[in-house]
Amino acid sequence: MLVGKSSRFIVTVSILFSLVALLEGYAQTPPQISAQVAAQMIMRPQPAVDSSQLEAVSAKVEFDPPTVSLGQKSFYRVTINATENSIHWPNEICLPPELLPGLTARGQLTQPDGVPFHPLTEFIYSVTPTAAGRHTVSNYLVSVGGSSVEIPSADLEVVAATTNLPSPRILALELSATNVFLGQPFRVQVLLPAGAGNQIEALRDIQLSGGGLMIDKTALSQSIDVANINGQLKQSFICELKVTPIAMGPQEFFAQGFTAGREFSGPITMHGQLTIPGGPAKYVLLVSEPVKINVRPLPIDSEPPGFTGTMGTFFSDPPQLSTNRLHLGEPIHLKIMFHGKGDLTRFVAPAPPRSHDWQIIADYPPNTGFTLIPQTDETQSTPAIPFSGFDPIAGKYYDLSIPPLPVTVIGEGLPTELPTFDDDGKSTVPVKLSNLAPLPGKTATSLKPLQLQGWFVCLQLVPIIGFIALWRWDNRRRFLEAHPEIVRRRQALRALRRERLKLQKALDAGDADAFVRHAADALCIAVAPHYPANPQALVCADVLAQLDGKEQNGHHGETVRKIFAAADTRFGISMQTQPDLPALQADVETLLRMLEEKL
Amino acid sequence: MSHLRITITLFVLLVATGITHAAANNVSFEQGMGFDHARRLPEAVAAFKKSALAQPAAGTLVNLGIAEWQCGHAGEAILAWEQARWIDPFDSRAKSNLKFARAAAKVDEPQLKWFEVASLWLPPDAWVWLAGTSLCLTVGALTLPRFFRWRKTGWQQALAAVGLGIFLTSMTTNIGVVSRTTLGFVLKRNAPLLLTPTHTGEMISTLNAGESARWLRTRGDYNLIRTANGAGWIARDEFGLVNK
Repeated sequence: MLVGKSSRFIVTVSILFSLVALLEGYAQTPPQISAQVAAQMIMRPQPAVDSSQLEAVSAKVEFDPPTVSLGQKSFYRVTINATENSIHWPNEICLPPELLPGLTARGQLTQPDGVPFHPLTEFIYSVTPTAAGRHTVSNYLVSVGGSSVEIPSADLEVVAATTNLPSPRILALELSATNVFLGQPFRVQVLLPAGAGNQIEALRDIQLSGGGLMIDKTALSQSIDVANINGQLKQSFICELKVTPIAMGPQEFFAQGFTAGREFSGPITMHGQLTIPGGPAKYVLLVSEPVKINVRPLPIDSEPPGFTGTMGTFFSDPPQLSTNRLHLGEPIHLKIMFHGKGDLTRFVAPAPPRSHDWQIIADYPPNTGFTLIPQTDETQSTPAIPFSGFDPIAGKYYDLSIPPLPVTVIGEGLPTELPTFDDDGKSTVPVKLSNLAPLPGKTATSLKPLQLQGWFVCLQLVPIIGFIALWRWDNRRRFLEAHPEIVRRRQALRALRRERLKLQKALDAGDADAFVRHAADALCIAVAPHYPANPQALVCADVLAQLDGKEQNGHHGETVRKIFAAADTRFGISMQTQPDLPALQADVETLLRMLEEKL
Repeated sequence: MSHLRITITLFVLLVATGITHAAANNVSFEQGMGFDHARRLPEAVAAFKKSALAQPAAGTLVNLGIAEWQCGHAGEAILAWEQARWIDPFDSRAKSNLKFARAAAKVDEPQLKWFEVASLWLPPDAWVWLAGTSLCLTVGALTLPRFFRWRKTGWQQALAAVGLGIFLTSMTTNIGVVSRTTLGFVLKRNAPLLLTPTHTGEMISTLNAGESARWLRTRGDYNLIRTANGAGWIARDEFGLVNK
């Protein structure tokens, strides 16, 4: 047992290797392990696998503390010497109704026991009694590695009087912030107050429950110092973690860890008077009371370009170029130094932007510069590199963009002459560029070929339509040649239409001779296709022959005879009397309509 | 009478517009020549570009390529000479300069298929007119004697056979012309070929200025192209097609 002599000065003790001091600076540097030490750790022989423990699995059960007053919390604790994965632990255990269940936790560690390591798994249930008396959790079976293991019964004595009974050991949690932004890291201190006799124990396998948190174990630091726990100053083992929320909304979590006696792992800083227990460690799983934090989302609307997730207060020095006059393709370095206040672990370097004129290569972290290679001699400045950060205290984004810097890029030009490689000076490749063309030369309306132009495709329809028209015309012609009666009828109809017009003119002029002549012609035309014959070769009898028997001797027949008789008088010596034109016109019209219908 | 007047007026206006347009092009061309002789190369490039945009011409594009080359823009120069050859495949200056540029810039000639090579024997528009004319000739030689009841003769049959042969040949070269419209050239030096058509796309490789590639499709500001080393996306302003 080691006892500190003074509380006035700081004693820094390294339990395993050496005394290590905390580094000072803007940022907390995580404990570094040298390559030599790391190699020694890797090369350390690993413990042998102890298979005998699988055959001797046993469980130990207790209430911690076994006696509590009414309303005082106690822990139902089950310890099994097996790995957590091999235990098929029931989702719920049967507790007496007088015991109100609280939070539950489980943990596993490997405890050194000589050369082989033994696994140890603990399940704890927080219970609060609601009635005085002896409450028993009966025994039950649990499957461990395929075999059943009996969990013995356990009793909790609850006294009604508010006597000064010992409280169960629990961990304490202290948070640096409870209202944080998503991705904003904050510190969590897990404290184990000194036990009886001011004995300080180490904590192992510390975990935080809750899925919305990410723990940075590289930034873990341990110390022993006086801490204020529930209003009392107590010497405590303090383990500080850096936690980053990765889920939004209210988050509740608690801490858990195994007490480990004097098995301090890694460097530790001790302050004040303390007692460290000797002998083998007693591994007990402890938990803290749950705490709540509120995780707010980052404002999306106002997110500036170049935000990489940098969180904190940072500022940059003016960027420096290695040179501002360079040749095409020559790399230059853009040096940018960032400084910050407080936590630097949430600094994410700006991403190299894509530029047509520059090839941009970011330096290997943690450096934050860029190597720039100009791709064209037309550029006159380096590319602007957008970058921004988020200040969680102010709740605002701020700009850290790297402005463009003026440069002069010298183009290397292209050769206008090539050397000849063969001895006789003959080469398949021209040795120099041609002269300028003195005239524009052959022109084109467009570089787009006619094959892809819509109007030209439409133009191809013209000959197609022409050929189709010719084909249709030829077909029609052949058809009419095979059916000449159609042609004759059509010709007769056209001629009849013309004669009707002449009839109308003669009627309007009161020319009776012309009227009867055209009427006779019209009648001949109307009947000519029926023979077929030339209309001029037909006479009155031919017209009458195309009328029905009744009509030949009836009024229509009489009209035909009258017309032909009147028409024939022109061949006579003496003139006949003029016929009654209006009466005759109506008869002729009726007759022609009738004959036309027969066509 | 009035219709005739309107037609004549429109014809005169059309001819006048064409003459004015040609005159403006000639002015830009002459300006480009002047700038080039005075070694004012960026101005020469701008003048030749203006002239080529108004009226693409083989000589203008040859001169544009020479000015671009002298400015150090190998990709733009090779594209301009390829465009000159597109208009006039017999232009010796464009052909010679392309050989020279590819040797100097160390880029390969585009790999053309046999029907694309055949399509280089004549200007692209000539092939399509040849195909249309030969088809009409063939169909006409076969059908017109029947329609007009001419006596069938041997020369008509021979004409139809020759026309059909020309048509089939020119169809393959027309396919070659259309296929060549997907040919393009990288304009910028070390142009990145990206895996995705995005600003932050992963880079597959970098391409030399003047390197040839086949255009596959366009999405946003990027073209999907196939190079000799695989397919990928390239920014639109870093890749130029021959026929655009």
